[in-house]
Amino acid sequence: MRAGAAAASGVGPGAIVEVLDELAELFRQGGAGLAESADFDRIALRVHAAQRAFNPVLRRYWDAVSNRVPSTWREIPPVPVGAFRDVPIVSGTPEAVFRTSGTTGDGLRRGEHHVASLRLYRAAARGNYRRHLFAGAPALRIVSLVPDPARVADSSLAAMAGFIAREPEVAHAVWAFDPARGVDIASVRKAVGTAEGAAPPPILLLSTAFALVQLVDALAASPVSLPGGSRIMETGGFKGRTAEVGRATLYRRVHRTLGVAESHIVNEYGMTEMLSQAYDCVAGQAPPPDERVHRFPPWVRSRALDPSDLSPLPPGRPGLLAHFDLANAASVCHLLTEDYGSVTADGGVRLLGRAPGAAVRGCSLSAEAFVRAIR
Amino acid sequence: MSVGEEPRRTDAWVLPPGIPAPGACEDLRAGDLPVRHPARDAVDADGLISALRAARRDLAAIATEEMVRILGDATDTLVRELDRADLLDIAANGRLSEPMARAVVDGMAPSWTSAAIGRLVRAEFPDPRVLDGFVAEAGRRVRAAGPAVTLHFGAGSVPGVTVTSMIRALLVRSAVLVKPGAGDIALTLRFARLLRRADPRLARAVAVQYWPGGAPEWDRWERDLLRAADQVVVYGGDAAIESVRARAPAATRLIEHPHRVGVAIVGDSIVGDATAAATVRIAAATARAATLFEQRGCVSTHLVLVLAGEPAVREFCAALATSLAALERELPPGRRTPAELSELHQRRGRLAMKGAALWPDAPGGWSVVLAPAGAFEPVGSRTVWVLPVDGFPACLKELAPLSPVMQTVGLAGIEPDRAEALAEDLLAIGATRIVGLDQTPFPEPDWLHDGSRPLRELVRWGELRQSPVDQDPPRSRRRGSSADCASRPIRVRSAT
Repeated sequence: MRAGAAAASGVGPGAIVEVLDELAELFRQGGAGLAESADFDRIALRVHAAQRAFNPVLRRYWDAVSNRVPSTWREIPPVPVGAFRDVPIVSGTPEAVFRTSGTTGDGLRRGEHHVASLRLYRAAARGNYRRHLFAGAPALRIVSLVPDPARVADSSLAAMAGFIAREPEVAHAVWAFDPARGVDIASVRKAVGTAEGAAPPPILLLSTAFALVQLVDALAASPVSLPGGSRIMETGGFKGRTAEVGRATLYRRVHRTLGVAESHIVNEYGMTEMLSQAYDCVAGQAPPPDERVHRFPPWVRSRALDPSDLSPLPPGRPGLLAHFDLANAASVCHLLTEDYGSVTADGGVRLLGRAPGAAVRGCSLSAEAFVRAIR
Repeated sequence: MSVGEEPRRTDAWVLPPGIPAPGACEDLRAGDLPVRHPARDAVDADGLISALRAARRDLAAIATEEMVRILGDATDTLVRELDRADLLDIAANGRLSEPMARAVVDGMAPSWTSAAIGRLVRAEFPDPRVLDGFVAEAGRRVRAAGPAVTLHFGAGSVPGVTVTSMIRALLVRSAVLVKPGAGDIALTLRFARLLRRADPRLARAVAVQYWPGGAPEWDRWERDLLRAADQVVVYGGDAAIESVRARAPAATRLIEHPHRVGVAIVGDSIVGDATAAATVRIAAATARAATLFEQRGCVSTHLVLVLAGEPAVREFCAALATSLAALERELPPGRRTPAELSELHQRRGRLAMKGAALWPDAPGGWSVVLAPAGAFEPVGSRTVWVLPVDGFPACLKELAPLSPVMQTVGLAGIEPDRAEALAEDLLAIGATRIVGLDQTPFPEPDWLHDGSRPLRELVRWGELRQSPVDQDPPRSRRRGSSADCASRPIRVRSAT
């Protein structure tokens, strides 16, 4: 018997909504009870059954690549993140469509993540950003070099920045990035200046690595000093649009131009195709960059897979990273990324960037050039 | 040297006598081959071009027949002396397996023999004496002269492409300055060194130097060469070609060979049985056309249109899968990097997501994709896309969008009397080489490369028309001369 008929049996029409509600509640409680493998598997397999039942695209994919009924989340074939460029992967009606940045200039379509529940997204993101970025700060001001979600509705990162800006500790948010014009340096200066005074609240600067480079370049000649306790969330650099500086160099320059120490700079690892995020430290307690490990919330499992046959690699061995994110219950949980890294024995992720070794080209046309030429 | 041992470091230059060896060098890995190349400005661009330009007289002194012999002898020596270490260098350089490197050299070398390049010369110039001097032709005398120096930019990682390009230029007596493709350094250097050894006149007319093409720090060097060369042959992707176009002086002749895609059309003679002899034979030819050069050649087959219904086409796919698996054992793939493997997994997954049928079940060294119309992309890595079509009109409809990039079309199972009409239609939508499927991997030496005459596009034609009065010699000179004097060829140097 194929996996489909077995797994889908007993899954009613309300199964997805029911699962999403349950997960949102579970996430709000910090994912307690998911630490054990059996508990994680139980929910993962239930979500998988619901996805099989309501998403014909996924069902066809799983039937094509495996005839095995999974008994653990590890046996559910991962879906390549590239598939988000081709077909909508969603169970239910999407509340939002997030698009990948599409900045690699390869002429290919941007990936689309159809998100059925923004409430679930917020629940998945909230605990982790509060723990790593807020870190108990009683009050924060936001300066965001991530676009305003009111202006850029299809960015998952902007949506998360919007969640952050609505937190009760946030007194004020300044949106200082325009997708067409880049970083609004004057707004950043003004925000920092406004914050000066007696014990001004610290600033949480949200930024892509790319925008942060722009900012430190622009402020190099005339540095500013963010209030004590200020912290920075920087993200990106693993999705094609890499800032042309190493992370350690960038952090040194940030310290010089913004007065924020390396210990207060937190890297976020996330992607449009995935509703949960990982952070490499708690603001104010960060070890040096080369000792950092990214941590997802308990509803995510990560593995490094051997690039040749996708077999799992032991902790410490680098490979292609695959993540199983329960927050993606309405799209697809198990994702095969294009990122390279290893996992630690306790489930952390050490990122190494994109898989190394550029493809060898001859005089035959590449797929990207083909698409540019004929479409 | 044993398998698994680090390949030898290669000095990536061959310079004419009198040009000092580079004082400073840089190291890099070209594929898996450690390479040392001259640092920027370590070789004087103007001096190099001047030295090559000065070799013009040497080349002019070599008659076509002799040049064909010298180049053919060099090929014979190349094949005879190519040892295992050389082969491993070529393999490491192109990230090919050793058997694949051997198959590529064995397949390319026959087009560089004296017999083959002699045939090329005769196909291009019915009277090859036009390459040596003016030849009478209907009331005038004509001459085909190569420019003094041709600069070659080779393409990526197909060994042999640059050797072919060098041979063509030398046949028209143009000195060559070659930047081989990053994966074609080892074989190009080997051939250039044999030419040096073969004849001192060629030693003065051949230069090879590798540098990271297109890198910003090499821009000035490339501009200097583009300004000084008389003619430029460039193989490469859109960006490389556009970059050369943008920087070469308007008066410099550019000969461009952009990246191309090859397809095949299989007629309805195949039957719905993967083991039937015709199916197996055509599947084997398709597999070879897609596998050689690791599908990186402009001639490589990526897409096969089969004039049959889906059940028969599935049988063909199964036969093709069997052939590709056999070829994987005979010609294993070279080392694939994590990035290449990642791309492979992403593409396979995406195809499965779109409902394509895939062979084999798990990712491996090759793939057969039975996909819906319009889904095709030339993804490489021995991926053959198969599409059922119900007749030639449907075939042409499928191929029409490929018009800007199509080159070779391999035909199998199509009756000769239908093939010519089909070829007419294929030519109209961009195909330039229509051959039997089993002939696709290694073009004949006189093939019309990307729709051009491979030697004629390299020459400038000159004509000599003398007025009657000049043809009538003065009385004083006529005395003492004889009729045979008038028939002696007039040697006029081309102005190029």
